[in-house]
Amino acid sequence: MPGAPFAIVGAMTPLRVNGEHVELDVAPRRTLLDALRADLGLTGAKKSCDMGNCGACTVLLDGAAVYSCLVLAVDCAGRAVTTIEGLAADGKLHRLQEAFIAADALQCGFCTPGQLMALAALYDRVARPSDAEIMRALSGNLCRCGAYQNIVRAARMAREP
Amino acid sequence: MKPFEYTTPNTIEQAVAALGPGTRAFAGGTDLLTLMKADIAAPERLVNVKTLLPRGIEARPDGLEIGALTTLAEIEQHPVIAQGYGALAQAAALAASPQIRNLATVGGNLLQRPRCWYYRNARINCWLKDGADCPARDGENRNHALYGGGPCYAVHPSDLASALVAFDAALWLHGRGGERTLELADFFALPVAERRTETVLAADELLLRLRLPPHPPETRSCYLKAMDRKTWAFALAGVACVLRLSGDKIAHARIVLSGVAPIPWRAAAAERELQGAVAGPDRFAAAAEAAVQEAAPLRHNGYKVPLTKALVRQALTALTNPACNSK
Amino acid sequence: MTTRLEGRAKVTGAARYAADARFPGLLYARILRSPHAHARIRRIDTSRAERLGGVHAVLSSANSPCIGWYEESALFDRTVRFIGDEVAAVAAESEELAEDAVRLIAVQYEPLAFDMRGAPAEPKTEQRGDLARGLREADVVLEAAYRTQTALHNALEPHGCTALWHGDHLVVHESTQGIFAVRDEVAEKLGLSPQKVRVITEHMGGGFGAKQIAWKHTVIAALLAQRTGRPVQLMLERSAENLAVGNRNATEQALRLGAKRDGTLTAIDVRIRFEQGAYSAGGEASDVIGTYLTLYRCANVRAEQRPLRSNAGPAVAFRAPGYAEGNFALESAIDELAERLKIDAVELRLRNYATRDQREDKPFTAPQSLRRCITRVAEACEWTHQRSGLGFAAHDWAAGGGWPPAEAEVEFRDGAARVVVGVQDIGTGSRTALAQIVAAELGIALERVAIELGDTQPEIYGPTSAGSATLATLGPVLQDAARRAKNAGRGRAVRADNPQDKSIRTCGAQAVELAVDRDTGEVSVKRVVAAHDCGRIVNPLLQSSQVIGGITQALGYALNEHRVVDPRLGEVLNANLEEYKVPTLADIPAIVNLSESMPDEEANATGAKGCGEPPIIPTAAALANAIYSATGVRIRELPITRDKLIR
Repeated sequence: MPGAPFAIVGAMTPLRVNGEHVELDVAPRRTLLDALRADLGLTGAKKSCDMGNCGACTVLLDGAAVYSCLVLAVDCAGRAVTTIEGLAADGKLHRLQEAFIAADALQCGFCTPGQLMALAALYDRVARPSDAEIMRALSGNLCRCGAYQNIVRAARMAREP
Repeated sequence: MKPFEYTTPNTIEQAVAALGPGTRAFAGGTDLLTLMKADIAAPERLVNVKTLLPRGIEARPDGLEIGALTTLAEIEQHPVIAQGYGALAQAAALAASPQIRNLATVGGNLLQRPRCWYYRNARINCWLKDGADCPARDGENRNHALYGGGPCYAVHPSDLASALVAFDAALWLHGRGGERTLELADFFALPVAERRTETVLAADELLLRLRLPPHPPETRSCYLKAMDRKTWAFALAGVACVLRLSGDKIAHARIVLSGVAPIPWRAAAAERELQGAVAGPDRFAAAAEAAVQEAAPLRHNGYKVPLTKALVRQALTALTNPACNSK
Repeated sequence: MTTRLEGRAKVTGAARYAADARFPGLLYARILRSPHAHARIRRIDTSRAERLGGVHAVLSSANSPCIGWYEESALFDRTVRFIGDEVAAVAAESEELAEDAVRLIAVQYEPLAFDMRGAPAEPKTEQRGDLARGLREADVVLEAAYRTQTALHNALEPHGCTALWHGDHLVVHESTQGIFAVRDEVAEKLGLSPQKVRVITEHMGGGFGAKQIAWKHTVIAALLAQRTGRPVQLMLERSAENLAVGNRNATEQALRLGAKRDGTLTAIDVRIRFEQGAYSAGGEASDVIGTYLTLYRCANVRAEQRPLRSNAGPAVAFRAPGYAEGNFALESAIDELAERLKIDAVELRLRNYATRDQREDKPFTAPQSLRRCITRVAEACEWTHQRSGLGFAAHDWAAGGGWPPAEAEVEFRDGAARVVVGVQDIGTGSRTALAQIVAAELGIALERVAIELGDTQPEIYGPTSAGSATLATLGPVLQDAARRAKNAGRGRAVRADNPQDKSIRTCGAQAVELAVDRDTGEVSVKRVVAAHDCGRIVNPLLQSSQVIGGITQALGYALNEHRVVDPRLGEVLNANLEEYKVPTLADIPAIVNLSESMPDEEANATGAKGCGEPPIIPTAAALANAIYSATGVRIRELPITRDKLIR
């Protein structure tokens, strides 16, 4: 049989995280969320439900917002991951981050990285999203403190003038 | 999750050869991983099919082709689907959340297991998991089936399935014996004692693609979904409706229900009320009534009967409202 | 607008929560929980778990000190009393390995009979006047029964901690609302002096009442850390959050309201049952009878509440405990009474306005503030009971005034201040508001105030963030300490007593506008208008966030949230965030906050009162009243799901 299947167990997984090349030595069952937090020390993405029901673990995978708890780290080989730690550039806050502070779009802050990454995925493509697009982009992120009204305010503030 | 081996075969033949007890195909993983995390499924080996199966949407003369790996986000956003198969675009848009839609494939969406809270609880050995009995039948069944219930009373969680069945989609599968095709409507089958699943997928088979037959441009469709909150929830009830008028008469009608049966449920009696009849509120009310004629509510899900009726009526009304241009 | 001091840390992911604490050699722990609602443990065999590579310790009743927990139970009791009760724990080199090890612990259970309904225990009763006479004097007696459901906190950050020892000193990075409460209780459970235990909460991801006390995971993590000689992180899974670490008790409230033709209340009688779960967990006991005794002026009141003990997880305080439940029933009943009497619903409330705390028998410090809130809301929504889909409710809340003990220390040098307090910021913005008070007192810019909190080590006591008390408690202390520091370079102050001759409360009103689709049962809330008396509003942006947050939670409570239990199996069926439906962004209407700053000078020197809990209190009743207005259907049960409204 040409090209027998090969097991990835034990092999390194190369990927880019926030623009930097990394190699993960992880078992197949390790999620991207656990790899980010435990192997790379990037604790911005949060483990809250670990089942894709809350959005607190949202990161960008090749620019698309995904729940990192539902992605296997080994499946990220050759791909680009962006986390909250990669949103600000050279210490300068992204306009979404500034808007969140100004509009008080957070309370306890636990859902905040996920909310910002969900919006970042939108704002990377669309400079002036409509209200409907904003609501849609945020529809997969829970905020138990109930800061929603201010999160929307912040998203509107961050639209390019 | 328990440990597992993870392999990426080079060909689809290698993939199907590997499938069997303890070995599952792995695409988007958004259902399988949650089953594994909940200890409902514990495959020893996952076969990554993400490089092997068709992905993408292509409009062809013999119909619209959708590869099994096409994500829900791609279906939601594709202009051809929004233009000509509105119910499918709407179903994709109403499914889950953006983050799930970016990962989830249409193939996986069709194959996903029920959300039934007895099924999804590893401590409860329900009938669907080879246990003796269905605890939902006499238990907490507000989310459960109106039709097709018994022995299993769970409902099928897919929104896309109803829309695809309403468009008379056909499905291509690949197994050890090669390719076969069947109507999507026939792919879904009520669970029985010897086969406690929602489809007739064989253990060695993978989904390849769907093909939606072409239809005249005046065909309209929509998908309505009732949820416990405004978004990001499985359907309490959902309706996929495809309609074509010829003058003021209904030339073609398909109504397929979500969230009310273990498989997508074709409301055939409702369709018969509509076929050849003059479109109008009385006819729609009759169709809605016919849609729930055979409903067999359980103790706590009786509300799904008026809910389903209302959604059928609302869908038909929306599609024939001159102010609406849903296609 | 003054924004949160920790805003930058939170929006960049730099803010560290309990699970973000990183130490060399960190181990991860998991707890094995009972699969039975009631059972005796015959035998536990942890040998396979212990032998698993990467496992460093396994704890169970066989090898742990017998530490008492709840009233008659223990850390690892040999009798388990609800599905989720703690049985054993493991520390391993990864979370995955810890889960693997938990699966390898073999337990032989002897299942026992269980009761999910609950047996009633001793009631608490308060009364005044003569109820029988009050009922006789009434021209109209409204009799009605209301039910509220068990709700689950589901803060996005789970309970948990990272624990490590430095010699015989324990350090815990904990997700808690009460660093000193945890410190003292953990020290006691471990037989240590409190000075040997340090609890740190720099940031935490929500508590809402579920994190006021020490829970078992902290002691378990400490024991595992001790056993292994390594730091141990123990964070609970979402299922455990929904099973074992608190909930808002369900209630049944059977009431009678007696009134004269002109609307004067002559009698209030309520009998309440509330589900407590398997254990009395401590912390704030639910005071469901509270509002019945205080919200309206009435001479003859009898209020009784009886806990039901069942084989479910323990109930604890959940944002405005007792008042969210009691207000739903009372404020729905007042509307029903208004209709019977053909008196306007807002007018009826004002006719029975209380200027005194009838429970404490003292005048309020701000007796007209509730009237102000009621009037403001009524005017803002052009109140008329003719308008379909509009509903109103008022509320009070016995806490919010703060109280001793509490301390603070301020240093002032070169135009800059350093503040040390022993409270924690649970997301309300205490950190910022307290710093503002210091800045104002010292006459310096906020940027020149460095505030340290969330650490027991300085031994500067701060209370648990509960009862909406933090600002009202610490504000005056900081003013005092800052004043001393202004003169002497350094100042320390303690919280004085509240005035003994007056009663401090918070209160407010809300109106809800909505539409109902009777064919599908769907409720669409369009607007919520709110005005709450929080005394002086120190930071309007943060106060507003508490209002929108409380109302958002209240809408979930009113419409969707419900812990579903199968009583035959003893199982919580929706112990997850998929089927336990907290509100999403799409579920929230426009929320209009009309709260005015009304400095309550008699309450404390800052004039500020709490605003964390008040906004969650009246929304459910206002919503139920709005639904009645829209449909003519009176729903007396929460949550108001579609099935209750569909025609």
